[in-house]
Amino acid sequence: MAVVRGDVPAGREASARPGLGLDWLGWIASALAAVVFALVLGGWLTGGMAVSFPWAPTLDLRLSFALDGLGALYALLATGVGTLVFAYGTGYLTVHLEHEGRPAGERWRFWPWMALFAVAMVGLATAQDLVLLFVFFDLTAVCSYFLIGFDRGRREARNAALMALLVTVVSAVAMLVAAVLLYAEYGTFSIPELIARTGTGPVTTIAAALLAVAGVAKSAQVPLHFWLPRAMAAPTPVSAYLHSAAMVAAGVLVIARVHPLLERSAAVLTGLVVVGGLSIVIGGVLALRQDVLKQVLAYSTISQYGYLVLMYGIGSAAGNGAAAFYVLAHGVAKSALFMAAGAVTVATGEDRLSRLGGLGRRMPLLAVVTGLAAASLAALPLTVGFFKDELFFTAALGAGPLTAALAVAAAALTFAYIARFWILLFLGRPQTEAGEVSRVLVAPVAVLAVVSVLGGLVAAPFASLATAAGTVSHGGALTVTPAYHLDARPENIMALSAWVFGGLLLVARRPVGWASRGLAEAGERFGPRRIYEAGLHALERVSSAVHDREVRDLRTSIAAVLVPAGVLVALAFAVTPTAGAYTTGPVAGLDWLVLTLLGLVVVVALVIAGARDRLTVVLVLSVIGFALAAVYALVGAPDVALVAVVVETMLTLVFLAALARLPAEQPDRDLDEAVRVRNRRRDVVAGAVAGLAVFATVWGFLSQPAASTVASDLIRRTPAAHGGDVVTVIVADFRGLDTLVEITVLLVAVIGVVALLRRGRLW
Amino acid sequence: MSRRERKRPDAVVRVVARMLLGPVLMVAAALIAKGYAEVGDGFGAGVAVSLVIALVYVALGGAEAEAALPVLRHAPKLAVGGLLLALASGFFPLLLGEPPVSHRPAVGEHVVKIGALELFTPLVLDVGVFLLVVGVLTVLLHHLARSDDEVR
Repeated sequence: MAVVRGDVPAGREASARPGLGLDWLGWIASALAAVVFALVLGGWLTGGMAVSFPWAPTLDLRLSFALDGLGALYALLATGVGTLVFAYGTGYLTVHLEHEGRPAGERWRFWPWMALFAVAMVGLATAQDLVLLFVFFDLTAVCSYFLIGFDRGRREARNAALMALLVTVVSAVAMLVAAVLLYAEYGTFSIPELIARTGTGPVTTIAAALLAVAGVAKSAQVPLHFWLPRAMAAPTPVSAYLHSAAMVAAGVLVIARVHPLLERSAAVLTGLVVVGGLSIVIGGVLALRQDVLKQVLAYSTISQYGYLVLMYGIGSAAGNGAAAFYVLAHGVAKSALFMAAGAVTVATGEDRLSRLGGLGRRMPLLAVVTGLAAASLAALPLTVGFFKDELFFTAALGAGPLTAALAVAAAALTFAYIARFWILLFLGRPQTEAGEVSRVLVAPVAVLAVVSVLGGLVAAPFASLATAAGTVSHGGALTVTPAYHLDARPENIMALSAWVFGGLLLVARRPVGWASRGLAEAGERFGPRRIYEAGLHALERVSSAVHDREVRDLRTSIAAVLVPAGVLVALAFAVTPTAGAYTTGPVAGLDWLVLTLLGLVVVVALVIAGARDRLTVVLVLSVIGFALAAVYALVGAPDVALVAVVVETMLTLVFLAALARLPAEQPDRDLDEAVRVRNRRRDVVAGAVAGLAVFATVWGFLSQPAASTVASDLIRRTPAAHGGDVVTVIVADFRGLDTLVEITVLLVAVIGVVALLRRGRLW
Repeated sequence: MSRRERKRPDAVVRVVARMLLGPVLMVAAALIAKGYAEVGDGFGAGVAVSLVIALVYVALGGAEAEAALPVLRHAPKLAVGGLLLALASGFFPLLLGEPPVSHRPAVGEHVVKIGALELFTPLVLDVGVFLLVVGVLTVLLHHLARSDDEVR
């Protein structure tokens, strides 16, 4: 093990001691991930499987999952890397919590989210339905919110969590819109059926573009990449999992899953090529001068997923196969590198390249295995990474000379920044003391490094998985055949020139530093993160302006409901032909009594508007209630009248009891005379708008009562329900479910009142 | 707020308020029993009973009312029990594999009648609503009456 017996700082030695006990929760998560890995592997080797059963049949939603090649690849990656990262996390989280002085119970805030994330990834990988895809897509975003914000005491962690959530969830809405568009046009959410049914056309193009936006944002591609470097505020296991093989992979997975749809539109594919190319260059150049370990890896991830988006943009059999292979090789190498960075930080307490160095002698094993993972990322021979670049170059060559040149530049950048990362970390003069790190922090890195090397020697398992996955995303047969060729074929020449250019970039540190710094500053000043922050601030300002206006006092809160309602009704009237719609019927017999009562209501309402005393208002208000109850009784609704009378009485009593507890003074006594007058005018206008709208609506309705078949139907069916009184039968039977919900609300409301009055004691 | 001098309500009101409790329970029973055929249901019956309880509160004052009618302190249990009863009457068909609020006896089956009282599951719903309304309103009255004395 990479353990140094030396003068270890006291504090760090203490943190290495298992004071919080075994993290059995983490080990359970790891074991579960391993079990799912074995199940998926077994399921795929025995020919895959598919299940589909109704979820919400009225909405045409089905729970349909299939373990096809693409699903198997991502599920195996998520659970395989997950097993190792979770094992690593048991060690890391213990140290992390002890370092921050947090109790062992905080593990419950971590592992359930991690496990749920793994489940969501497996679900996402196997989902065959656009809505299901959206659900799992958002589930991963919600999990990532809690995981990135795990150190909730730190402001930057909270901001980073929110940023990751907003960017990925808001763009996920694009996916839902696309799903609805496609459903409206083709009548299904099922992805295989959509692929079979869609043709070219504007709907397909728009839907494809929206799907691509969702995927690109999730995979942290330019210009929606800015959340990923911030998300490095997460604990290292989260970064090693979410930001190498899971969350960012989810975006590319969606692109792969719907790739046959994207291929229907050349514009969308071109867009993917542009976004991928920009991400490769911007991520790679920025990675060249990052100082913080995890930031190097974050920008590297942006760049590496740029490769993938580029390959899916190229499309073709070569592009799809290469992309599938690339995801696998990159995920393995990148999570190893993240875990190595975490192990170094645990050992030294430093997370900056400028303060680290010469760790190779102190931690030889970690240096070797990290070197292997880095070599795989940099595509050196004898690692699986070599093949990923070989396939990438083949696909790029097929797309034209410009793309081929971009591919070489991409590989050179990767070589340069990852070599810099490793050299500054493990070579040179030791700058810091390195304490002990437990085996569990190094072993997972070693396992992934060994996998990378084995894949470099025997690429067949990777290749067969990539073949199956590429076949799904391409929508046609293809084979991925990685192999070493000792000849002067273009791929080999491209690889050689990439290493040479990469070496040059490494040597020419000054100009590279300027370029990288210039790009970073330009990004800070004009970049999309500024737009995000400005947008967020503007939204906050609007929100607080509305809030201030609405809740200034009780009257403004009421006006905030009444005035918009009145204005909306007025708008509805403005666009509806109303000529001749308003009628007044003949007045005869009992109507005169009703009219008298309604006239009383009008007079009383005017009295209330002028009343200054609350007691008067309440008592006079009850007059309106009783008068209206009498009207109900007269027009033949005795049930309603009975309830109106008893409720009105009760309400007045409760009102009076509540009023007795209010202060006697007028609430606006502190205001100026001018403000008071203005407020009164505002109240009059708000009341008039709302009142006129209601008047017009009710009159319009009474002029032309809707010819309802429901009412006569209910009356006809009442005897069948053993009833004579329609109203009671409606309440207890026909609309019985509504009644049950309403009475539940009644109890909830009284609990709310009690919570306000007596801190929740019911009696 | 300085407490204003409160005149004790008239002796007649104090006596009548307590005596009304018996008759109003009778009225409530009638409202529920004949609710399916004529005007009235559990809700109206519940509010009517609560009105008399409110009258007792007004006539005797919070503390004295609860001393005179110690049964009032079971109001929260009454409310929760009533809700559970009503929900049970609505959701029991789920256990039989039928949609909720499928009342028994079903359409067209014979209903046992005792005078105007029909024995079927909507009656349970009505009784549940009645208990809930009485319980909820009594809890409200309790708090509005008591907190004045306690808070100040």
